[in-house]
Amino acid sequence: MFGRKGKGGKGNYPYAVARVKAKKAQLMGEDTYSKMLMMSLPEISRFIGESGYQKEIAALAGRYDGVDLIEHATYSNMANYFRGVLDVTTGELHEMLAAYLEKWDIWNFKVILRGKSFGMDADSIKEDLVPAGKLDQQALERLLSMESEEEIIAAYGRVANVIFPTELISAYEESRNLSELEDFLEKDHYDSLLRSIDPSSRPTRLYQDYIRKEIDITNVETILKLKAEGIRGEEVMKYIIPGGKQIDKKLATQLANAESLSAAVNDLAPLDFYDDIKNALDETNSLRSIVAGMKKYHIRQAKTFSHLYPLSVIPIIDFMIHKENEVNNIRIIARGLNSGLDADVIKELLVI
Amino acid sequence: MPTHDITPTRSVLLDLKKRIKLSQNGHKIMKMKRDGLIIEFFEVMEKAKQMRGSVVSDYQIAMNKIAVATAVEGEIAVKSAAYAIKAEPQVEVGSKSIMGMAVPRVEAKIERGNILNKGYGVISTSAYIEEASEAFENLLVTLVRAAEIETTMKKRLDEIEKTKRRVNALEFKVIPDLLEGKRFVEFRLEEMSREETIRLKLLKSKSEKA
Repeated sequence: MFGRKGKGGKGNYPYAVARVKAKKAQLMGEDTYSKMLMMSLPEISRFIGESGYQKEIAALAGRYDGVDLIEHATYSNMANYFRGVLDVTTGELHEMLAAYLEKWDIWNFKVILRGKSFGMDADSIKEDLVPAGKLDQQALERLLSMESEEEIIAAYGRVANVIFPTELISAYEESRNLSELEDFLEKDHYDSLLRSIDPSSRPTRLYQDYIRKEIDITNVETILKLKAEGIRGEEVMKYIIPGGKQIDKKLATQLANAESLSAAVNDLAPLDFYDDIKNALDETNSLRSIVAGMKKYHIRQAKTFSHLYPLSVIPIIDFMIHKENEVNNIRIIARGLNSGLDADVIKELLVI
Repeated sequence: MPTHDITPTRSVLLDLKKRIKLSQNGHKIMKMKRDGLIIEFFEVMEKAKQMRGSVVSDYQIAMNKIAVATAVEGEIAVKSAAYAIKAEPQVEVGSKSIMGMAVPRVEAKIERGNILNKGYGVISTSAYIEEASEAFENLLVTLVRAAEIETTMKKRLDEIEKTKRRVNALEFKVIPDLLEGKRFVEFRLEEMSREETIRLKLLKSKSEKA
């Protein structure tokens, strides 16, 4: 179904893990977020500037201010960290991490394609790129410099080793609707991610389980989103990513065929994260609260294996998950405070 | 109508009587129209009040949802999702006639397709962005409807003002002037009739003396 080119080699685990452990020690503790909630935006900028984001804050302070500065600086910092880790790893470890970080390549590809199709100029699109994946800033700028969207798609396929089905390209050329292309990339990403993991050892099996649970969560979110729009059955199944841990094709079909959102969520009862979304289901039945519950479950899952198998891919992935989560949490606080959201709402959105 | 401009003849009197009747009928109809417009204005005002309430609540919901979406997903992701949407809302402006008055008809043609045909990927677009997008679609529909009702209300107010001026002009200027003119012509005709009678009596007495 999905086409990929090449992978393989050995990994330099001890060196990479040692570097990542030092970086992980710099991550913010859970209590830091409560402190940040009491701060103003300039105070948050200064605080994160003193907590490891100084270089990016200083570099971007001339172009952005306030909450935009915080968002761009944290993204830029995360991209520098991830690319730094990716650059020092080799072999199968590098392959696994590159496959994990491919989501940022897809993100950037979508930003470029959506921006181009909307008629945005290259400089504005460039500001929104987060080169945290396999493709660095130069590679992304090369994509951005291309004239037509078809050229961008073809070039991305070459640099990211993605083979787009011809019927998908023809459909895009006809409709100019990016949705099918984007959905294909998401499925392709998880397919290649799972294939990049060799489940022969305990740590890689744990990592694979984590990714498969992420697929479950993404699938549940997709099903609930579509159900909320009244879409059921086969139409829903088209968007299901194969390879989930607990949600197999049978359960996915069962959920997809459920009459309503309430009926669908009852089918979720046997799943691991049911306890985390139970309250949201009972009280509000809000999709937003259910998704927040699932995200919290997912980050907790990452914490459960963070201290296991020190010389494996796990500490590195654990660092990446927590770094991304830190960036997300800082942004949630900064944007939430800037928009005047209630502190309780912000706390609920934080994934701690 | 100044009385010195009037020629006191029977045909003028007849004409004045006709005009008085016409003006009084017109006054009555205009008054009825004014009252009808006022009643309708209050109905529209009630709707406008409700629409303003809906605009405020829909705006608050949309801003809250976009604030949450921007916080959770980041402004870049929200902006990027917005760029993917291809459908542009169309607003059709026309007019319809109510009580002979042209009121605007504004219709929003917003393609409120489901998530499948919005233009962005179903899998990767978060529920937060989707909820914000729906909230803004609702806000846009409410805003267009509110614009139609507000404009209708303003048009009615202008029409009431215009009708009120016409009613007042008829009541306090046109009809009194015509009545004054009629009284003047009647008086002059009576006067002329009396002069004629006296003249005839004088002629009669002269002819009797002769």
